[in-house]
Amino acid sequence: MKTIIVNLGYFIKESFITLKTNRLSNFLSFVSITLAFFLLALVITTWIVSLQIIDVLEQEAEFNVFFHEAVDEPSRILMAESISDISGVVSTRVVGEAEALQRMEEILGEEAQVLAYFDENPFDAFIEVKVDLAQSEAIIAALQEIPDVRSIRDNQQVLDQIRNITRIQQFLGTLFIVAAGAATLVVISHIIRQGIYHNREQINTLRLLGAPESFIALPFLLVGLVMTVGGGLLASIMTGAAINMGYAQMSGPIPYLPLPTQVVLIRNTTFIIVFLSLLLGIGGSVMGLKTSKES
Amino acid sequence: MITAENLKLQYTDGTEALKGIDFQINKGELVYITGPSGSGKTSLIKLIMGEEKPTSGQLKVLEHTMKTENPQGIRDLRQKIGPVFQELKLINGRTSLENVMLGMRFLSIPRNQWKIKATEALDKVRLGHKILAKAENLSWGERQRVAIARAITRKPRLILADEPTGNLDVENAVNILNILNSLRDEETTVIITTHATHLIDETAATQLMHIENGLIHLNGGSHS
Ligand SMILES: Nc1ncnc2c1ncn2[C@@H]1O[C@H](COP(=O)(O)OP(=O)(O)OP(=O)(O)O)[C@@H](O)[C@H]1O
Ligand SMILES: [Mg+2]
Repeated sequence: MKTIIVNLGYFIKESFITLKTNRLSNFLSFVSITLAFFLLALVITTWIVSLQIIDVLEQEAEFNVFFHEAVDEPSRILMAESISDISGVVSTRVVGEAEALQRMEEILGEEAQVLAYFDENPFDAFIEVKVDLAQSEAIIAALQEIPDVRSIRDNQQVLDQIRNITRIQQFLGTLFIVAAGAATLVVISHIIRQGIYHNREQINTLRLLGAPESFIALPFLLVGLVMTVGGGLLASIMTGAAINMGYAQMSGPIPYLPLPTQVVLIRNTTFIIVFLSLLLGIGGSVMGLKTSKES
Repeated sequence: MITAENLKLQYTDGTEALKGIDFQINKGELVYITGPSGSGKTSLIKLIMGEEKPTSGQLKVLEHTMKTENPQGIRDLRQKIGPVFQELKLINGRTSLENVMLGMRFLSIPRNQWKIKATEALDKVRLGHKILAKAENLSWGERQRVAIARAITRKPRLILADEPTGNLDVENAVNILNILNSLRDEETTVIITTHATHLIDETAATQLMHIENGLIHLNGGSHS
């Protein structure tokens, strides 16, 4: 250990010499590592985004309960109160016709002019029921029992679909992470093996002088780390730019998507990628060292 | 400190480099190994360094039984040796100074001593003016002296110099042999192989070992 600390300067110098001796080949390897990490970062980004969307949608799960027009104001309130008693219901609130219209105007924004073409308010009053999604089926059954309930609108199906898509995405994402990780490992271990091959005489001399294997291996480990962490950082910067561009595009057409803030997203992705690159760098270098020792 | 009994070395292609030799070298000796080209001098050095394993017979170097020693034991042994290889084995692209320092980096010599000791040793082999020259830009004789500087800075218990004067003029050769002779003391054993029998200071040597065709033919010296 002490040997390693007092020789840090030497190791850094040696690893730069190794990087320089194979310049083109090392540069191309660096490019492929960066691209692998960039693709990895994109997968991870969409992963984070979809988890966040599900989370927000689940928190905001609510049913809209519509009733027959004959139900008057006091009965509506009574109805809302009785719904509150159903287990799993978090809160209820009566939304009158005027408020329903106002909400739609807000959603439509500038487009709200179209509402002016209606002679009278086309929206019905309803009871907004916030629920715990885990009990949604029992709640729906209970709501259907209530007389005067005309229809129930829930976002159950939408959520289910998003969940399914996310499950597929997570499966593919995992496959992708494994594949890109394996590719990086192979590239790195190949670079290390190549470096060892080019330096085989020097390595043999060091062995004859009694140098410990860790002393011989450390410069190569550093090469692997510089390549992967460098590639990881560059990929993170590229991902940051891609995220910024994506957000700029998305804020127009789908303004209500509950996206995480850009800063948080970029920070988390960068953290994961740099961590992965450290892991893969060490893993790939060790793999390269191991396999070239055997041959 | 080194004992060999019926020591044989056969290379994988069938060449019998050493055909059963016996000798003993004690701590603090100065031993010259002579013999014509191809007689087996380097092969013996390789056995002592653990670069080759004995095919049969016994070889003990310091506390190590070479036939069965494990890699860690070989490494420990090598750290106690100051080797001058026949083919020198300097690292190209590095300066004389860096080459000499490299021999000390993983020994128990403190870091602040590396540069001082390396500079001193290079001065001693008359290369003070070539400290910052790259190894590949030196003449063979100069490189030989860098290799010797690398060996002696390691404060070794055993100096193994394989043909250290091979390409040197008489003046430099005598200087190198004098340096190597002077390193011998109670704790340090020095073994030198050479063709140049006329340069050997027979009064300084404790043992003269002559190898021919893989066998020891004459074993003499002032102390044996
Ligand atoms: N790796 C090897 N494989 C096969 N044969 C070898 C090998 N190394 C040496 N030899 C043979 O072993 C014999 C002894 O060689 P060695 O290098 O020990 O001689 P030497 O006394 O050092 O010669 P020189 O004075 O020329 O350096 C020679 O016949 C040589 O060809
Ligand atoms: Mg030889």
